[in-house]
Amino acid sequence: MSAITSSFIHPTVGFYALALVLPFLRGKAWKWLLLIPPAIAIYSVMTITPGMYGELNYLGQKLLLGRVDKLSLIFAQVFAVMSFIGMVYALHVEDKLQHIMACVYVGGAFGCTFAGDLLTLFIFWELMSIGSTFLIWLARNPVSTKAGFRYFLYHTIGGLFLLIGLLLRYKAVGTFSFDAVDPHHLMMYDWMILLGFCVNAAVVPLHAWLPDAYPEGTVTGSVFMCAFTTKTAVYVLMRGFAGVEVLAIAGTVMCVYGVLYACIENNARRILSYHIVSQVGYMVAGIGIGTAMTLNGAAAHAYAHILYKGLLFMGTGCLLYAAGTTKLDKLGGLVHRLPWVMALYMVAALSISGMPLFNGFISKTMTITGAAEAHRTWLAIGMEIAAVGTFLSVGIKLPYFAFWAKPANNTMELKPIPANMYWGMAMGAVLCIAQGLYPDMLYRYLPYEMEHAYHPWGVWHVLQSLLLLGFSGLAFYITRDIITPHAKTNLDVDFFYRLIGRGVYALVCKPLAWIDDRWTEAYRVAGLGGLITLARGTVWFDTKGIDTVVDGSAYTVQNVGILGAKAQTGRLQDYLALAAALALGVFAAVWYLA
Amino acid sequence: MSLFGMLLDALRARRCLFGAVFFLGLVGLVVANLFLRPHEAEFVLDAYPGFWSAFGLLVGLAMVIVMKKIVQPMISRGDDYYERNN
Repeated sequence: MSAITSSFIHPTVGFYALALVLPFLRGKAWKWLLLIPPAIAIYSVMTITPGMYGELNYLGQKLLLGRVDKLSLIFAQVFAVMSFIGMVYALHVEDKLQHIMACVYVGGAFGCTFAGDLLTLFIFWELMSIGSTFLIWLARNPVSTKAGFRYFLYHTIGGLFLLIGLLLRYKAVGTFSFDAVDPHHLMMYDWMILLGFCVNAAVVPLHAWLPDAYPEGTVTGSVFMCAFTTKTAVYVLMRGFAGVEVLAIAGTVMCVYGVLYACIENNARRILSYHIVSQVGYMVAGIGIGTAMTLNGAAAHAYAHILYKGLLFMGTGCLLYAAGTTKLDKLGGLVHRLPWVMALYMVAALSISGMPLFNGFISKTMTITGAAEAHRTWLAIGMEIAAVGTFLSVGIKLPYFAFWAKPANNTMELKPIPANMYWGMAMGAVLCIAQGLYPDMLYRYLPYEMEHAYHPWGVWHVLQSLLLLGFSGLAFYITRDIITPHAKTNLDVDFFYRLIGRGVYALVCKPLAWIDDRWTEAYRVAGLGGLITLARGTVWFDTKGIDTVVDGSAYTVQNVGILGAKAQTGRLQDYLALAAALALGVFAAVWYLA
Repeated sequence: MSLFGMLLDALRARRCLFGAVFFLGLVGLVVANLFLRPHEAEFVLDAYPGFWSAFGLLVGLAMVIVMKKIVQPMISRGDDYYERNN
């Protein structure tokens, strides 16, 4: 363990301090305070020296709040940047509770990233779950309320798997330490912990919470959520489960599954949610393959993904804010009225598609090339298929049907978009382009040493990407009438979860209701009669027994008192007569007994 | 309408021009692929020119047609399906 110092400013502190003071602040100026915790976080992660910080004893256990190394730093860095962009984007929001919950959530993500043990990780993991649930509920409509409950239920179950795993592990090895497992010898407790992580990483088929909940969050809340939950899970998977084969397969399945559903979805934020599943799939697959290049690819893609996905959700958030809907069948023909939203959205859309000049190009290709170099050909092909689907739905379909399709729409009522929302988007766009142009901006922070450096800007890499994306565009052109979105609900695995939920509900409720009915009847017939008889017996006992003894004693004392009072007449002759009579009586008794 | 909005609106009216540029660009890429090949083929077939063009086109067509024409009719329900069934 490195030297323990106290000079590390844990980014969580700033966010939680703001969450605590925000309810007591008045006026308008408090909004500028929203930028302080992210600014402190950026300063902290850019200046900190790797090491172990903030060790404390809790319930006899040593907890480590600040494990700072290259892996935690690259995630913390992008979390800090994204929290700043997200707060800028949310500056216009008057509802303080939204900001408080965003702080709880983001602070939790930093807590998880720097956690040196599983117990600390679990605590912050659950705080994230609470904060994000509120970011859904605070949309304050019936659909978001229900979606929030389902989201919380999912994450509670995921958290329970993590808790069971860490407790079983503690029993087996006697420590809560959070280190890499042996990928070839996973114990039962390792699997439980992995399952808990996989819920948050939205690994198929545990992913249904994501496209269910993210589209229902607040405009600004979903921007935070798309950045932190799944990427925190990617971080912990990378920290603990690199090289676990099942993740390589599951990740590739996620890549393809997400794009297939996005292809048929109508709601823009749901399309993006399915693309989180797909893009996180690249990261999970890279972690599962477990070479230095794929691990670095996963880290780089997580970094790039947070920036462009945040920008994508900001763009669709603008649509929701202005037009009141993100359903593509209701949008269209808005490009001349929301030109900057379209332009900034397109920066993110081209980034996620892996177009040269944008940051997805320098991150996605690293994972795919790493998979191919590791001779995982089918996995690499799966990722290329996902790349085609990504460009089809996020790169072309979504902007085409939201902005371009249909004649110019001048009748739809659009709410003016606050300037700060544009500022937030512009910051994200600048970073997406800058990283695409200067890959070293990102590569210098990659955590693993590679045998040879990866250079994305080779002529062949560029040509291959342009060929793939260009002809995917041609496929869209040919099928543009087929891919037109329709107002439908597409059943996903959550259909089965809901079915199971209803089954459990019925199983629990119906027998309990039957037992309750029978018990009420039995009580009415037997229990109530018995109780009445018992009550009568008690009354009789009280009257005849208790009252006789207690009341009799009281009356006796009272009568004796009355008699005594009467005997005390105050006349001397009466006392002498009484004393003589008493003496005579005593004398007679003594004489008789003797 | 902003200046940028008017510019984009004007571009909408010239979609044929953009279509022509797009198709010319695709032809240019295919021609470039005849001369530029991967240093080392990663998937064997990608050593041949036109592989990634065919891959992008065929995968894109298959994905849209299969998902929209076969899968979606089987798994789609009304827009308010879950609300109605709650």
